[in-house]
Amino acid sequence: MSNALAVLTRPIAWIPEARRRQLGLALLIAAAMLFPVLHDNDADIDSMANAAAYATLALGLNIVVGFAGLLDLGYAAFFAIGAYTYGILSSFQLQPPWTEFWEPFRWLGLVSRMAGDGDAFVVHFTLSFWLALPISAAFAAFWGVMFGAPTLRLRGDYLAIVTLGFGEIVPIVVRNWSDLTNGAAGLNGVAAPHLFGWSFGVDSTPYYYVAICMVALLVFISLRLRDSRIGRAWMAIREDEVAAAAMGVDRTKFKLLAFAIGAAFAGMTGVFYVAKLQTATPEMFGFPVSVMILVMIVFGGIGSVWGVVLGAFILQLLQSWWLEDLTGWLNALGRVVHNAWLQQVDLAPSIELIFGFILVGMMLFRRDGLIPATRPQAALTFEQQHAEIRRGGFTDLKLQGLGGDVRTGAAALEVKGVTVRFGGLTALNAVDIVVPNGGVVAVIGPNGSGKSTLFNAITGLVPTESGSIRFHGEEIMHLPPHTILAKGIARTFQNLRLFPNLTVMENALIGQHARLTTGVFKAIFRPPATRAEEVGARVWAMEVFAIFGNRLTPRVGQMVSGLSYANRRRIEIARALASRPRILLLDEPTAGMNPAETLELAEQIKSLNGLGLTVLLIEHKLDVVTTLADTVYVLDHGEVIAQGTPAEVRRDEEVLRAYLGRNAQAAAAGVTA
Amino acid sequence: MTLTDLLLQQTINGLSLGAMYALLALGFTLVYGILELINFSHFNVFMVGSFIAMGVLQMFGLTGQDVILTGLPLVMVLLVTFAVTMVASGLIGVAIERLCLRPLRNVKGPAAMITTIGVSYILFNIILLSVGAEARNYPNPMPNVRLHINGAVLDIRVLLIWGVALVLMAGLYVFVQKSRLGKAMRATAQDAEAARMMGVDVDKVVVMAFFLGSALAGAGGLIFGLYYNFTSFIIGFTAGLRAFTAAVLGGIGNVPGAMVGGLIIGLIEALGGQIAGAWTDVIIFSILVLVLVFKPSGLFGRVAPNKS
Repeated sequence: MSNALAVLTRPIAWIPEARRRQLGLALLIAAAMLFPVLHDNDADIDSMANAAAYATLALGLNIVVGFAGLLDLGYAAFFAIGAYTYGILSSFQLQPPWTEFWEPFRWLGLVSRMAGDGDAFVVHFTLSFWLALPISAAFAAFWGVMFGAPTLRLRGDYLAIVTLGFGEIVPIVVRNWSDLTNGAAGLNGVAAPHLFGWSFGVDSTPYYYVAICMVALLVFISLRLRDSRIGRAWMAIREDEVAAAAMGVDRTKFKLLAFAIGAAFAGMTGVFYVAKLQTATPEMFGFPVSVMILVMIVFGGIGSVWGVVLGAFILQLLQSWWLEDLTGWLNALGRVVHNAWLQQVDLAPSIELIFGFILVGMMLFRRDGLIPATRPQAALTFEQQHAEIRRGGFTDLKLQGLGGDVRTGAAALEVKGVTVRFGGLTALNAVDIVVPNGGVVAVIGPNGSGKSTLFNAITGLVPTESGSIRFHGEEIMHLPPHTILAKGIARTFQNLRLFPNLTVMENALIGQHARLTTGVFKAIFRPPATRAEEVGARVWAMEVFAIFGNRLTPRVGQMVSGLSYANRRRIEIARALASRPRILLLDEPTAGMNPAETLELAEQIKSLNGLGLTVLLIEHKLDVVTTLADTVYVLDHGEVIAQGTPAEVRRDEEVLRAYLGRNAQAAAAGVTA
Repeated sequence: MTLTDLLLQQTINGLSLGAMYALLALGFTLVYGILELINFSHFNVFMVGSFIAMGVLQMFGLTGQDVILTGLPLVMVLLVTFAVTMVASGLIGVAIERLCLRPLRNVKGPAAMITTIGVSYILFNIILLSVGAEARNYPNPMPNVRLHINGAVLDIRVLLIWGVALVLMAGLYVFVQKSRLGKAMRATAQDAEAARMMGVDVDKVVVMAFFLGSALAGAGGLIFGLYYNFTSFIIGFTAGLRAFTAAVLGGIGNVPGAMVGGLIIGLIEALGGQIAGAWTDVIIFSILVLVLVFKPSGLFGRVAPNKS
């Protein structure tokens, strides 16, 4: 058996590895194109067309759930909106009286004049199927934004229940707004698509080809979006919303974008589905449909483009082919063994039960689905793992565009009288801090003294009560985090907020989000300028990684979650640097590093400052502070209790009291002297 | 019927529905307070509970509304039915937690929520496939005594619903506030890690939350049957969504909030149903969205701090 398999698979080895993917794709396309020719069975072709339609729905939901991580349980609502848009505009449902107003539309072929009751003429809507595809997509996307705008700020689990509510409201509206939708009886007489004067009618083959083309188009769009600035922003939001915002991703905008694009896919599919069935009823778009699409993407692999297509096809064909076959076999078996139950059993109604078991089973035993979204990572070679650590070459480092600020003595960052309160707790009380252009300023203080809150206030992650924060003279308080990053303030987090399930390179590319310009259309069509931008972004990321010598460069393709703690700290700094900041805020960058690594990082920070990057640093290790900082601020209980050069601060009595307590002062004087 | 009578009648109806939603909302709130998980399987534990209770009543030989019991037999039948239903539903909840949710306790993202949707679907379809799609006539041994208050009617069954709901909710409240395990539950809802370090058996607390929540849902399912005289595989979805709205309205994680939220939603359904008809659900979902968007902590605030 294994020998036979080896013989069969041997030809695969003859194909160059780079070509295998293309060849596989070509075979897939050929098979899809030839299927109706080779298998001339209308019912089976119809099943395949339905499966393809569900694949397009799964691709749309995958953008929302898989890419952006927003659990949408009412996705079928957009399917309904698209379906009814075409259904109403291509059937006899609405028949307003004919007036001059409709003349231009008749000239465009969107309506025709029809004899109504008596002598009066009425309007008959005749929107073309092909025109309806983009129109319904846009209309569904519009509703995606309308539904999304008020709700996307909610936590993920609340979003799920709200979308579930919307998913219920839409069929209720459809059922009860009978004038528009013909209510529960459903729309009838929806026009079939026409192509060059020929009607598709009820033959399944042309629908099959349209559906296959839609799947191909949406797979292409999904892949292009995934591997672009847009897709990276979605995945950043999915992995860690706060870090995404701090790295320059406008959360609201990109969540709405995901919702809108997902809805557009569903709207388009709705048009196809209704045109194929030539009818639309509210039952076609209820909660079970939303769940079925969710099951498809869970089964295929959440976030995996090819996975969800496979999942949709397998489950749809399970429903329309295999359960029926299985039922037939069981019944036949029942006749052979004279078992009455087996003879009568019908598995078809149990499909939803199977869906339930698939959801639970996949979550418990194979959360990544049939085709996981993340590629397996090639392990480092022995040589790479045991390479001698080089300390980062600043000699051959270009790093143009980083900082470049000269020490003019002017203030880069000016924090004045900033107060932050959490309920009754005053975390910062009228704090003043000035970071001069090109300088290194350190903030020290006991745990809980408000250091990280200060960083959060500067980067817009916590609301401030009063005061002012100026960056190069411009007020930045109350700006959203992504705008603050765009102005040139980048930060790291005390407790590491990387995007763990993305690669080192992807993390650094997300850092550049605010510096790149690719929008949806450029991401899909990928013009030369966009290609150049992507290449440039990767080159820049490699330059930044080179700051840390060969510690990160061999690992750019690795998943962050699998790297050492010290390397993850370095990646976070690299991610911040990738955004080409004018000031870098480091929150305990050496925490968890051993003395040698600490020294190495301190040198690297010093070199970055030498290139003209302004640095604001929170640090507990006083030797690091002494080596790096020009000025030190000491925070205690949310107030600045001392400031000055490291040497001055070390002698300050209040600092000693804050750190060591009143009685230890005398003893400590001996230590610091 | 005058307008006042109508209002009175709908208030009576609304309080009955509200008592049922409140029982169901408590299950959402208990689990959410501790695990921050929206438990979709709760929808159909309620539905299964109503069928379990129907089975118990049938074992007493009751099949419809024609056999009327009074006095001690009635009390005994109802007591046994409530007890068996609540224990059985509670055990279903515990089984769901142990088999499907505990392995996912530390998995980030929507995995646990997706699992509860799957479980909900499994329960739904098991009942659909085994009992069938048509609504079942519900056994109801209670005498059909009606008190007339002006033009409004107060059925004795309504009084029973109020009484049972009140006793159960008061019992839960006392349990959560006074008992040792209740204190452990509140501590876990505040900070599971700290509670664990202080010696609280978090697993036990989670199991208890599922047991109590599911038991109350089972009681709710029985009340549904007694109130409407029917049950069906489909009742979990709408009732569940309304009860969840009630939990959010009262401040999810907040036990008294869920009770008040349930009563408010019940009243809205009964009174609003007179005006809005088929659009009542749209109103209720709009409340859900508005509360979540503008006051996510609900009317009475969350008990647990936001652990983000």
